[in-house]
Amino acid sequence: MPEVQALIVDDSSVMRKIVERSLRQAGLESLIVVEAGSGVEGLEVLRSRRVDLILSDINMPAMDGLEFVRQLRKQQLAEGVPVVMITTESSEEHVKQAIEAGAIGYIRKPFTADQVKQKVLSLLPKA
Amino acid sequence: MTLSLRDSAHLISDPENLKSSVLEVFDMMLGVPREAMRSRESESDLAGAESVTAVVGFGGILSGACVITCDESSARQIASRMTGMEFESLDDVVKDAVGELCNMVAGTWKSKVPDLASSCGLSVPAVISGRDYNLHMQSPEFSLVQMFTFDGTDFRVSIVCDELL
Repeated sequence: MPEVQALIVDDSSVMRKIVERSLRQAGLESLIVVEAGSGVEGLEVLRSRRVDLILSDINMPAMDGLEFVRQLRKQQLAEGVPVVMITTESSEEHVKQAIEAGAIGYIRKPFTADQVKQKVLSLLPKA
Repeated sequence: MTLSLRDSAHLISDPENLKSSVLEVFDMMLGVPREAMRSRESESDLAGAESVTAVVGFGGILSGACVITCDESSARQIASRMTGMEFESLDDVVKDAVGELCNMVAGTWKSKVPDLASSCGLSVPAVISGRDYNLHMQSPEFSLVQMFTFDGTDFRVSIVCDELL
């Protein structure tokens, strides 16, 4: 697997760490993680660098994950980059809202490292 | 369509739903096997001890909160399990961990009640720590309280909410 740059957006530093650990357990040895504590910070990151993958929480203060994804799509900040929502909200309605906002994957908390691995590897281009 | 909780009241008030939510979160996120967790309905006395309380509110078709309370040592143990790091004190990362734990328990519990899954939203977690504080909830009509123990770590999980019918 070539180098992968992943943006993890979550207001919880603990959850960012757990998601990063899950990505490393997915076999992404050449992983570079960029963290953002809110949707606003996530947009700032994307204005200055290109990433290969975005994983975002939904329920965050300041700018929630759905608005973050709408804005990054609207501002064309990450064209073609897969966005996966990681959240405790998992009803069909929430999944539908995430897809309509521009996400292409959804992982419900709590999750196992294997669930993250399967989702992420299915979205990244094969080496 | 007007939603009513009349048909879901038994799911909301079922202690097994709360218990299975807690076991699921601890198994998947902390690596605590379900068989290693003990639960009971009686409460432990945390009065006077340094403690942490995390609150995730919910609103919509049902208003209330999920509350997790534990002493300082248990909070550090929970954070260690979640992050793989060791903690000497009740720092911001430890509080963040207990808050996220409460968030996941609330979300998992809510997902077990179909009427709540899409018609009840969760707040971001709020975390309080200290000694001899009171958490005042405005006239809760219903509450579920369970104590859990694993590997010397004790914590209390509560669901408090409006009248169910």
